[in-house]
Amino acid sequence: MSLAKPAMRGLLGKRLRFHLPIAFALSLVAAAAFKYGVTEPRKQAYADFYKQYDTTKEFNNMREAGVFESVRPTGK
Amino acid sequence: MQASTETVFLYPPTPLSARCYSHAKVETDEEFDARWVTYFSKPDIDAWELKKGMNTLIGYDLVPEPKILDSALRACRRLNDLASAIRILEAVKDKSGPHKDIYPYLIQELQPTLTELGISTPEDLGMDIL
Repeated sequence: MSLAKPAMRGLLGKRLRFHLPIAFALSLVAAAAFKYGVTEPRKQAYADFYKQYDTTKEFNNMREAGVFESVRPTGK
Repeated sequence: MQASTETVFLYPPTPLSARCYSHAKVETDEEFDARWVTYFSKPDIDAWELKKGMNTLIGYDLVPEPKILDSALRACRRLNDLASAIRILEAVKDKSGPHKDIYPYLIQELQPTLTELGISTPEDLGMDIL
């Protein structure tokens, strides 16, 4: 029983034509997933934190804690 | 498959007028094979040319046809290079990659030549196991 001639040309090209578009698509999906799963929530968390941030109050808290060199805590 | 080796991304082959770029004439598979059979058939081929030819051939996106390999094995015979002859068999097996049906077919086609020239396959020598 003799073997039939298999395909012997362009095998890598065929494989790439199949796998590269999938690879590109999956990379884009991974990037999108990271963007919307990690970076956007992170940015939103910062935005939410600073939306209600009272700079003066926090400054005075820090001043009283004595972490500044340029201003001393009040009453000293 | 008839795509030429130099234009991997064009399949099936389109006529020259429909191609997007180079106006170079494209070689047919038969012309390619004939060119390589002729290359290895040079009566006074030297060791360098054999090695260079094989390395170039292995660089292409194809497994060489039995007739090209036959010509290369006979060149090994002229150069008294049994090691290269066996290496050629190992190379085409590796070149087939995941397509396990190619190597048995090649050995089938080359068997008369292997017997005539007294070339053992890597399998005969137990060299196919890592």
